[in-house]
Amino acid sequence: MTRRAKILLLILLATMAGGAIYLRFLARGIAPQPPAKHAEDVARTKLSEAALQPASPEQTATLYFPSLEQGTLVEEKRLISWAASDPDRIRQVILALVEGSHMGLGRSLPPAASIRAVFLTTDGTAYLDFSKQSVEELKPGIAAESLTVDSIVNSIAANVPAVKKVKILLEGQDVDTLQGHADLSNVLVPDLTRTTPNP
Amino acid sequence: MWGVITVRRQSARTRFCMLLSLLAAVGFLLWPSRQLRSDNFLIYQPSSRTAIPIQIVDQNKYLPILPVLNAVGKVGAIQEKRTSLKVWFDTTELELRLDEKRVRLGKGSLTLGLPVRKPSSQWLVPAEFLTAALPSLTGRVIEYKVGANRIFVGDVRPLTFSLRLDLAGNGVRLTIQFSEKVALRTASSNGKWYLYLGDRPVQPLETDFHFQNPYITEVQFDDEDGVAKLVVTPGGPGLNFYPVLAEGGKVLFADVLNPPAMQPPMPAAGIQTGGAAGSGPGVVVPTAPEEPIPGAPGPPLPVVVIDPAHGGNDTGARARDGVLEKDLTLQWAARARMALLATRKYRVQLTRTGDVALSFEQREILANAARPVAFLSLHAGNLGNTNPRVAVFIYRGTAGDSTEAPRSLIPWNLIYRTHLDQSHKLGQALQARFAQIPGIGADKPAEVPVRCLRSIDGPSVAIEIGSLNADQDSGALTSPAFQQQLATAIAAGLEAFQGGNP
Repeated sequence: MTRRAKILLLILLATMAGGAIYLRFLARGIAPQPPAKHAEDVARTKLSEAALQPASPEQTATLYFPSLEQGTLVEEKRLISWAASDPDRIRQVILALVEGSHMGLGRSLPPAASIRAVFLTTDGTAYLDFSKQSVEELKPGIAAESLTVDSIVNSIAANVPAVKKVKILLEGQDVDTLQGHADLSNVLVPDLTRTTPNP
Repeated sequence: MWGVITVRRQSARTRFCMLLSLLAAVGFLLWPSRQLRSDNFLIYQPSSRTAIPIQIVDQNKYLPILPVLNAVGKVGAIQEKRTSLKVWFDTTELELRLDEKRVRLGKGSLTLGLPVRKPSSQWLVPAEFLTAALPSLTGRVIEYKVGANRIFVGDVRPLTFSLRLDLAGNGVRLTIQFSEKVALRTASSNGKWYLYLGDRPVQPLETDFHFQNPYITEVQFDDEDGVAKLVVTPGGPGLNFYPVLAEGGKVLFADVLNPPAMQPPMPAAGIQTGGAAGSGPGVVVPTAPEEPIPGAPGPPLPVVVIDPAHGGNDTGARARDGVLEKDLTLQWAARARMALLATRKYRVQLTRTGDVALSFEQREILANAARPVAFLSLHAGNLGNTNPRVAVFIYRGTAGDSTEAPRSLIPWNLIYRTHLDQSHKLGQALQARFAQIPGIGADKPAEVPVRCLRSIDGPSVAIEIGSLNADQDSGALTSPAFQQQLATAIAAGLEAFQGGNP
């Protein structure tokens, strides 16, 4: 092998080694990374967690769950450690409804339901922004849908005295109905005419 | 003597052979008709209709894929292998694999409930393929009622009808209410009466109606040969049939009467065309274009608006057996309409008579323009485990409209308030009649914020029957007898409401 050929071979080897290192570097760059959680999701999770943090001793909460057989809402008492602020309390009520009845009553919100945001205005109107998953598995019909709405409104009003009215939004939008029946075009007030105490 | 016996034996053998030949000939003649009478699936399009023979595989309804695709579009090319079939339909590639449920459709795929079959030379797909794949393949709207043998592709507006039978003096009166005007033609054959419904495609709410009386035992809808018709089976020989169109061709009254010991009630209505007198059913073809309905509701009569909820893409609730709320409410509305018309005290208007999606505003405009004495919105939904059950709802206002509305100008979203008292009375009257139906649970009227009643300018209630949900079969809800009981209760409830007797 001539000296010139040796030099060329060395250059070739060095280039290949450099290329290999560069390829490894590139491969690391395009390797799938776990997707970063959307900031909004992170914030929501934190808020939900914060809402569940016990900030005070446990107190009795009144929740209303639907009974389609009776066509009424049935009252259920539960101990909840309330958060300090009213919007967080509202979240706690919604989370308790999503969790479902401890006494085998019907569901007002499906397990996939989640609340995106809660606002409470000075005139006592609570704005609840639900995700669209919250309504996708609702039981169909006027009876089921109206009981769901009353369950939300009555449960919040029973536990957060500052709330006088409730406005329900879906995915941040004002909607005509929950799932084709219950009128959501306006704010809702608590109505206890269709409630029964738990026997 | 022997000669005579031989002749007799030959004669008996000959007769036996002749009998065999005759049976074979009859069998030969009947065989093709048996084939012809096999069920057809009708594909209705705006300008054509195609009949495709249904094939039953493992007791399931299958259709040959290529005739179906050729009926609704253009098959570009086919590549067939032993276990797969590729079809280029317009710009989409469709791939079927033998005995597999998964069908590749362009870049995507869909999974059918039943596998693709090929029992002979034809590739067969289950009937559900039509609703699962045809919308994306053709880009057109597909209307298909589960279990039916007909499908409507594209902008086809089929007419529909409801039917009832009443005793009338010397016979019975069959009343058929069509959603639109029909051009009726009648005939008689094989002891049955045929009512041909013209060229319009028909989507029947029900196909078979059975009765127990000496006059009519069955009315059956049939369009397997592409011609829509009703086949009326009389209860016995010698009955006469007098069909008369009314309401501009939208209502058919057909009296079935015993042979004239007395004079038939409408002898001048037409010319008898079929059925030998005394030996078979007679048919009277209406020649007058229109006959006034005896005691027909005219303009001064109060209007009742019936609103069958949902429709079109908005199917509403669905039962485990596939029954959809939109179909059920339409069926029920047709019965309620007939029950109300039979009282001859109301005009009745439906917000929809076919499978169309209407917004709340469209329904409100239709209803308010009619200035109804009662508005009934019909629903079916989840009412728990009690089945059957009826719930009556009245609109409950929300906080936003709690302030006093101006007297001179009432916003549409507050108009319900002017009729709240009457709506309560209407709800109570209806609930009281529903409660009288044996074996049914009838809830007391409840005030709920139900959107469909908010802007109705008249006494209005929503009636929900149940339970219709994915965990249960529809059960009694689809029973004609149950629906008729509901319809009769509605008529009785309205009469009580109008009479001020809730």
